Amino acid sequence: MEGLTGELEDRSLRPLTGEFWAAVNRGELVRPVCNDCGKSFFVPQFACPYCQSTNWDYQPSSGRGRVYSHTTVHRPPTPAFAAPYVLADVDVEEGWHLLTWIVDCEPEEVAIDMPVSVRFISGPDGHRLPAFAPDEAAR
Amino acid sequence: MSGAHPLHRVAIVGAAATEMARQLDTTSAEISMRAALAALDDAGLTVADVDGVAARWPGPGGTVFQPGSADWAEVFGLPLRWVCDTYPQGVPGALDAAAAVAAGLCETALVFGGQAGVMGGSAVADYTRPDNEFIACWGSLTAAQFALVAQVYRHRFAPDPEQVAAIAAAIRNAGSANPAAVMAGRGPYTAADVLASPMVAEPFRLLDLCLATEGAAAMVVTTAERARDLPQPPVAILGGGAEWHRQQYVNPPRYDEVWGLGADAAHRAFELAELSPQDVDVFELYDINTYEVVRQFEMLGLCAEGEGADYLAEAGIGIDGRHPLNADGGLLSYSHIGWGGPTLKIVEAVRQLRGTAGPGQVPNAEVALVTGAGSGAQYHNIMILGRG
Repeated sequence: MEGLTGELEDRSLRPLTGEFWAAVNRGELVRPVCNDCGKSFFVPQFACPYCQSTNWDYQPSSGRGRVYSHTTVHRPPTPAFAAPYVLADVDVEEGWHLLTWIVDCEPEEVAIDMPVSVRFISGPDGHRLPAFAPDEAAR
Repeated sequence: MSGAHPLHRVAIVGAAATEMARQLDTTSAEISMRAALAALDDAGLTVADVDGVAARWPGPGGTVFQPGSADWAEVFGLPLRWVCDTYPQGVPGALDAAAAVAAGLCETALVFGGQAGVMGGSAVADYTRPDNEFIACWGSLTAAQFALVAQVYRHRFAPDPEQVAAIAAAIRNAGSANPAAVMAGRGPYTAADVLASPMVAEPFRLLDLCLATEGAAAMVVTTAERARDLPQPPVAILGGGAEWHRQQYVNPPRYDEVWGLGADAAHRAFELAELSPQDVDVFELYDINTYEVVRQFEMLGLCAEGEGADYLAEAGIGIDGRHPLNADGGLLSYSHIGWGGPTLKIVEAVRQLRGTAGPGQVPNAEVALVTGAGSGAQYHNIMILGRG
């Protein structure tokens, strides 16, 4: 992982995932959608895990979902991360899920099945990241 | 035992572990080699007898292509007939080696590994910080991946925290009595001590979680026929199996997919062994954390989903309990030596079946169960060992 003072990598040039990160940089959440079976999947793979089609595109996501699971991390893997932070697996409403953080609330408030929506943050490495926050409108 | 199955035509004839410590003043290569030579010595064999190797190559020198089992041919000064570079340790490495010996691809295979000179101060071990694209950016250490699974379990079943903590206390107290354990002489621990230790990743506190230490472990597999001429009582591989749900630490583990991980492998392993989980005298479970111990008893079908903590409190996991478990102190207290950890579980099972396990010896242990990996890693493996 790059330091805060280092030259930031242009993540949009990454093979396979460049478009995802380019969208995040614009403040948009996208996910791979298979053009053959119509299913969404994540993490991006060269082929759809449901039908093995390589004919898929990134499409916009609503950015709304629910917490499938969460854990508050008190001992980070490197000093770059300021603990505590809430790591979560969020089910997004188009039928895909991703590892992320829950932000803009106290760690004790986070609960399984809680409605959340995407919130773009600046990560510890200086890159923009798609975190999630409690979705008051969905309560 | 019919003896018809290929796995039943081989035996584990040597097993050894080096000293274990938080830090050792040597290298991963040297400590691994010392374990390998000690296992050969234990088997009454020398490097000249080896024609198969399953081992990571830590360098320095040699290839940078991992795992690099063939690099050991250079060190041992002999050509090999078989190498295992897929998962060269623990249960999968041992089963692959046994299959290779049974198929005649080689006659005597070494499975070994460990680490030394890599753990520095308070930094967490490299292998607990997966560098994968959608994991590393979130600061997701491996304990947190397992925590995501345990949190759903807690949400659905609300296990008694004292009962879960008592599992860590029991394993750690067993390790305290094992002079070879990194945590020898520490404790005694109570469930309250575990619950008072610092939180790492909810629900795991420091004493719920395994060590990250240094040392190495090794085992030798050969034909049952050759085993008859060797000094140690042979240990038979009665059954085994593995489940690879998906690559570890790329996508977060989902409770609904991985809590039962290993049940199919266990079913196949016990069928092959013509035994049931109730027949196991000693459990060498991969105790990366306390919830994984609970999970594995539920996965084995010894109790229902959600009842593991209750069940273990009632059954007992000490050497006088119904399910003697990790009486060496396990990964929590004996040692967790990185890629050598899965092999160390087999070494301990062999000691139990030979009756040489020291203070943690389970009287008359005839059937041992060894497991590896777990729900958060999204793969699991199982091997049933018996007196040969």
